[in-house]
Amino acid sequence: MLKNWINIFVYQIKNNKLFTALNVLGLSIGIAGLIFAILYWNDEKSYDQWNPNKESVFLVANQMDATTYWASSSAPIGASIKEVSPEVESFCYVNGNYDNEIIRYNDKKIQSQNVLVAQQNFFDYFPYPFIEGSAKKGLIDGNSICLSEDLAKQLFGDEPAFGKKIILQNQVVVVRGVYQLDKKSIFNPSCVVNFMDLRIKNSIQQWGNFQYILLLKLKNPAQADFVTKSLAKVYYENMTLPRAEDQGMKPEEYIKKFGQVIPHLEALGTIRLHTKTGGLIESNGNYQLLMIIVGLSVLILALSIVNYINSATANAVKRAKEVGVRKIIGASKSNIIQQFIFETAIISIISILISLVIVELSLPYYNVFLEKKLVIQSNQFYLQLSAIFVILVVAAGIFPAVYVSNFEVLKVLRGNFARSKSGVWLRNGMLIFQFAVASFFIIGSYIVHQQINHMNSRDLGFKGNQVLNISYRNVYGEKISNNFRMNKYEQIKNELHRIKGVQQVAGGGFVLGYGAKSVISYHHKDINIDGNNVPVDFGVLEMMDVKLAKGRFLSPEYSQDTINSMLINETALKLLNEKDPIGKKINWDSKEAIIVGVVKDFNIGNPGEPIPPITIFHFKSVPWFSNLLNNIYVKADPTTMQQTIADIEKVWSRKVDSNYPFTFDFVDKEYARSYQNYVKQRNLFSLLNIFVIVIALIGLFALASFSIERRMKEIAIRKTLGAETNVLLKELCKQYIVFSIIGFLIALLPAYYLLNKWLENFAYRIGISVYPFLIGFTILLALTLAVVLSRAYQATKVDVLKYLKYE
Amino acid sequence: MITIKKLSKVFRTEELETRALSEISLTINQGDFVSIMGPSGSGKSTLLNIIGLLDSASDGSYELLGQEMVGLKEKLKSQARKENIGFIFQNFNLIDELSVFDNIELPLIYNNVPASERKNRVNEIAKILGIAHRLKHYPQQLSGGQQQRVAVARALINNPKIILADEPTGNLDSKNGNEVMELLTDLHASGSTILMVTHSDYDASFSQKTILMKDGMILSEKVNHRNVDVLVNSKN
Repeated sequence: MLKNWINIFVYQIKNNKLFTALNVLGLSIGIAGLIFAILYWNDEKSYDQWNPNKESVFLVANQMDATTYWASSSAPIGASIKEVSPEVESFCYVNGNYDNEIIRYNDKKIQSQNVLVAQQNFFDYFPYPFIEGSAKKGLIDGNSICLSEDLAKQLFGDEPAFGKKIILQNQVVVVRGVYQLDKKSIFNPSCVVNFMDLRIKNSIQQWGNFQYILLLKLKNPAQADFVTKSLAKVYYENMTLPRAEDQGMKPEEYIKKFGQVIPHLEALGTIRLHTKTGGLIESNGNYQLLMIIVGLSVLILALSIVNYINSATANAVKRAKEVGVRKIIGASKSNIIQQFIFETAIISIISILISLVIVELSLPYYNVFLEKKLVIQSNQFYLQLSAIFVILVVAAGIFPAVYVSNFEVLKVLRGNFARSKSGVWLRNGMLIFQFAVASFFIIGSYIVHQQINHMNSRDLGFKGNQVLNISYRNVYGEKISNNFRMNKYEQIKNELHRIKGVQQVAGGGFVLGYGAKSVISYHHKDINIDGNNVPVDFGVLEMMDVKLAKGRFLSPEYSQDTINSMLINETALKLLNEKDPIGKKINWDSKEAIIVGVVKDFNIGNPGEPIPPITIFHFKSVPWFSNLLNNIYVKADPTTMQQTIADIEKVWSRKVDSNYPFTFDFVDKEYARSYQNYVKQRNLFSLLNIFVIVIALIGLFALASFSIERRMKEIAIRKTLGAETNVLLKELCKQYIVFSIIGFLIALLPAYYLLNKWLENFAYRIGISVYPFLIGFTILLALTLAVVLSRAYQATKVDVLKYLKYE
Repeated sequence: MITIKKLSKVFRTEELETRALSEISLTINQGDFVSIMGPSGSGKSTLLNIIGLLDSASDGSYELLGQEMVGLKEKLKSQARKENIGFIFQNFNLIDELSVFDNIELPLIYNNVPASERKNRVNEIAKILGIAHRLKHYPQQLSGGQQQRVAVARALINNPKIILADEPTGNLDSKNGNEVMELLTDLHASGSTILMVTHSDYDASFSQKTILMKDGMILSEKVNHRNVDVLVNSKN
């Protein structure tokens, strides 16, 4: 029996080479898409799942206003909540960013980018396996450090690391443990040092200074709501109440006017994909992108399954005679069903194998796209692959099989069946579905393109094409004063000025495209403004060609400009609601500042984000701003750019920083990188678009071929009666045009709704105009006509006699 | 009306060259009713197809209404065909998906006849052929005789100069076959030119002239005298 099935299957393939190949290709592409999505899904879902605390450790996420959530908390919160809430087992503060530090051991210097500062119970929360020392005693005091296995190898080779003394930030610390980073975790520090206990102690009074990540471990995860309530109470008593008193207001009044901080708890296992905050230390998973990829790949697979069903049922009509004969000689319905499912199973296996080849070959590009290191491995994946196989066989196989098994023997054998209409409505329905999906993709792709172009062509409010941004490692430490920092900076500035080709030099505490580093809110006439701080040196804004709307820029000519002169941007001005802001006094962080100028809005964050209200001070006006001085901007002569950069590097490594490599970027390129994500999404969408259109066209091609073949006799008769070619073509294309119109109409609403949803990501977005739809429709129609006409034209050229005589 | 001189048709495959027609000459005048007979493979259908412009000759000359047809472009052939020729086939060749009315109407559509006139002419011819009550039905719902009447109606609707019938009774029982032959005779009586291919001597006897073919050549032509017997035969 099996041999008989295989023989017939092989015969069918040989006789339908083109359509079998198209079918397999379509399915392979569909499956490959789904495999890509699954790999991505598995990877994202595997973060922190190994951690036994994934449900009991929570991040305190603070809601600052309706839409802004911070991952950071202030120093006193941890101890306070532990005191009032017995449900909290412990708390742990972790620094909000990795430090990039040089670690010294004897004469050896190793630079490490992922130095994490945390409290002593960090390894209780993240129990990485220890190969030296123990998690418990790893960070026992303020000069303890634990190293990752990699870093320990770099520093000590094969010698044991335990007990060795190393120097970090001019401080001697003792290695008390070595851990392995072998699992996917939200934290991947190269080493963890317990400087946090001291920092918390030093800022224990600062309720309003949200600077560290606070994690809570609960005795019972189910009590998270309860703890959240207690937290809210702590916030109210220690933040809202005293502030209201300061303002001489009732607390209700204060909340109404300025709002309050609302705490939320997010379980460790959910942070990476679902956090409402900007994320912890490493970049978040992109849940939206994940869902888009999964959704679209399922759609593509559905499309290719539909293709298969269509083509299989259409083809089945040709095999009606075989089925009829089989039934007459005793095959039962289920025999026939089994045979056809068997065929689908073979096709599915072949398609899966081909799709694995496709995936294997294109995985490197996909990894670059996602910035991941996905591999085809793990039992979970093979299990999922088997599931795909089963779904494929069920979805694609059962329908055609049942359809075929229901052929009525008598009708079939009497002949004429090949032209019967059975199953046509279903095939046409599926064709319409394909048209709808294809329309959706064409329209969507166009809108995504429009939006990205819109972002690309938007006036950013600055020009950065010949401005270099040099990363500057500022000097920190308990003994280093703000003045010392500024003096060091002035020296560097002078050195750079001497280099040939350098036109301007100025420091800044911001990077365009990545937002401001700190936010300080201020009140003006009962209006609360969350000003994003942009610390500048004289001339840096002018260097970037930021335009002035009112007043003047900061200038060394005015002595008050290093004391209390303040610039704001137009967004801030709008919020302030002042007609004439110049000269207005603002109470900014308990300091009286005077507005001397208003700059036109420029994009400080990525172009997807709205431009925030911006507060600009000179570094010297706010002494602690010197901490934020991490960028030195240099405008250089474009004609000698290469030479100038080389010269700067030479000077830099000799006089400024010999330990760390010289890193720089052009401001415009750096900015463009900040919205890479969206550019990638556009590219992804375009790529999928091609897949979808190819699959849909394969389907259309197959279907049009079958249906025209079915109508060959009719075409021959019409020709005999005098129909001209173009009349015939019109006749043949008519129904497909109708289908494409219906499909297009079906796609209209979902396309509009979903793309609108996607566009909501952007602060500056395009409206959805009628053009994407017009163009989508035109393309759809053109492709449909191209495919159908090519088939139809062939049909009108055939020998009429063949169909008139031997039918 | 039709003048054929030294017409040849050669089918070539890689190994084989078959002469379906070899240098046939034939004249059909206005108002003739000619039948072609001969065994299978004698080339009679090929000849009919070439006359009907469905097939093209390899060599020789075929003039239809004084115009040379051999070597004519497909578009002009199509033009000549739809204006001058009506077909009746053995297996009717009706379009199953279209109703009787729509089937009959087709040639008019391809000749750009306006809709209102089309309707009148279809109704008229349907009445003449006795299928007026069947116009809304589909071919599959009719008997073979009725289907062939529809095919005849379709062949006549355009008032063609010549009617080509390829074994018009081949798929019919004798009663329905007789009806169709009477129909053709009537048409002939009213002035139509008819060329018919048939296997049946009986059917051929309805025509004025019978041409006997064999191996692509015309063996004989003979004139029939049976016009009087029509009424007698119809009672069989």
